[in-house]
Amino acid sequence: MNYLTHQEVAAWLDRLAQEQTLIAPLDIAGNILYRPVNDTKEVVWDFVRSFMSVKEVFFPPTERMMLMEKIGQQVTITETLPQGNTIIFGVRPCDARGLLTLDALFIDNEPVDPYYARRRENTTLIGLACQSVGASCFCTNVGGAPDDPTGMDIMLTASNGGYVAEIITEKGEKISKKFPVFDGLSEIRPHPTHARKRELKVPPKEVWPARFNDDFWAEMAERCLSCRICAYVCPSCRCFDIRDEVLPGTDGRNQSERIRCWDSCNGIPYRRVAGGHNPRFMKNQRLRNRFFCKFYYFPLHYGPVSCTGCGRCIDACPVNVDITEVLGYVGRR
Amino acid sequence: MTDEQKTNPMLPYLGKLVEVKDIATEIKLFRVEMLNGGAEAFHSYKPGQFAFVSAFGVGEAPFGIANIPHFGEHNGSTNGDATLDFAINRLGSVTTDLHELGVGDMVGVRGPMGNGFPMDKFKGKNLIVIGGGIGGAPLRPVIQTVIANRADYGHFQILWAARNPSLLVFTDEYDQWRATPDTELHLTVDQADDTWNHSVGLITQLLEGVAPSPENAVTITCGPPIMIHFVNRVLVEKLGFMPEQNYVTLEARMHCGIGKCGRCNLGTKLICVDGPVFTMAEVGALLESFL
Repeated sequence: MNYLTHQEVAAWLDRLAQEQTLIAPLDIAGNILYRPVNDTKEVVWDFVRSFMSVKEVFFPPTERMMLMEKIGQQVTITETLPQGNTIIFGVRPCDARGLLTLDALFIDNEPVDPYYARRRENTTLIGLACQSVGASCFCTNVGGAPDDPTGMDIMLTASNGGYVAEIITEKGEKISKKFPVFDGLSEIRPHPTHARKRELKVPPKEVWPARFNDDFWAEMAERCLSCRICAYVCPSCRCFDIRDEVLPGTDGRNQSERIRCWDSCNGIPYRRVAGGHNPRFMKNQRLRNRFFCKFYYFPLHYGPVSCTGCGRCIDACPVNVDITEVLGYVGRR
Repeated sequence: MTDEQKTNPMLPYLGKLVEVKDIATEIKLFRVEMLNGGAEAFHSYKPGQFAFVSAFGVGEAPFGIANIPHFGEHNGSTNGDATLDFAINRLGSVTTDLHELGVGDMVGVRGPMGNGFPMDKFKGKNLIVIGGGIGGAPLRPVIQTVIANRADYGHFQILWAARNPSLLVFTDEYDQWRATPDTELHLTVDQADDTWNHSVGLITQLLEGVAPSPENAVTITCGPPIMIHFVNRVLVEKLGFMPEQNYVTLEARMHCGIGKCGRCNLGTKLICVDGPVFTMAEVGALLESFL
């Protein structure tokens, strides 16, 4: 364990930012978002939770997968894999857990998704333990904790005005060597956060099938707007759409890009089949699928539950569809 | 296969259109010769497997492959094999753009994907193939397999339907199907025209009339979900088939085909990797309905 003062961590980040892209929580018009840092003085150190998770660094809302060019009847395809090394500072434990969930699908489940895998490979995570727990947070109910270092490369925990740094992986060790202060030893990792545990039992996956036909889903869905914000703010939702966009022509060239962008099972066209039939036409069917995916289908196929208890969907939902209310219902029955 | 394709399953192979022909109203048959390593990837795909076809600049969509490898003569292929047939109905943006293409144009192809029909398991059995409209496309490889290996299968019945005669697919192959030993072709349309001299009515009515025996038989159905549902009902409730004997191929507007994008989930199953071929016993045991 190492102990670093605030000034030392800041100086270390400055040093890292000179060598590779540094992404950190910034205040963008009142929202905390993970964005590339130009000046480390802009970094927000004291926050509860960012509006969007670090998912968007690895699995961007829209990303180019390849470039295509038509020349006469010929076509050339150029793969566009992400390049460059990145460090993310200030990663919350719930978001690191979200990445492990996405790893289970994109990397551990063959074939490997090369876009996501490349970014994971080339990115180092500097975690920052939560000092306070948000009103909608429930990470402790799904196996996380505000100071959980799981999935981080280096974990920082605030203590006595500075930070205790735990170097967890080789990647973490590599970036710690960029700074001479990482050599002292502190006694123990502090646990500064007093995580209250809600009275909430996350029902195991075996419980879910019997709840499939309950009226509850229709009742819950009455207020749902199918707006999909819950999926977009979620650190572990991963559905996507793929389409081509024609690029503005230069020199009469016929170029286009193939992009993928976030999608959500709450969207009406999501489950449409050719010819227009939609087996998930009703809002309650779509809402139900979101929760069955998170706590039944995803664990069944890939292992982890697809929820990190970050609570973002609770805060973002304009009509108060509350995932803890759903878990409460399914667990209670 | 190039190194990039080995590591990036999202990159399509290039294919050249060697034949494009109208086979029904708004339905064209595209014959694609695979290039840049695609010939190797598509060397030995199975009936019922599918592939994504790209209209570059518009997008890609999944289609059942409508032929088996090395069937019959190789029309227009310069490399002697690895030509894929796709029967494509013009409906959305990708299919509309594909319909604009002609011989010599390039498309992208990713695949083969999905489980396909267990043709080996069907050996020695009587087969009843039931196709509705463009749903006939993924069934054509089954028909070709039986024709190419006639002795391996028992009595063969093809029940073929469309909303009207102009929407029937593969009409110029009916004579070949009929000429195959121990093979019946039964046609029906919902709405007939003056030239029509076959059955008129829904495929379920045709099925009740033909009344195939469930003994040592399997059925293979593709069509709109509502047709699959009612065909299975007639087979089970009126003709005595077990759901285990009824194979269907399902569909979804999926985006990746490799179990990542989530779009094709049907309860605990993903149509792209767990299907698209299921028995109705499997479909019936799912939490969620395909209807």
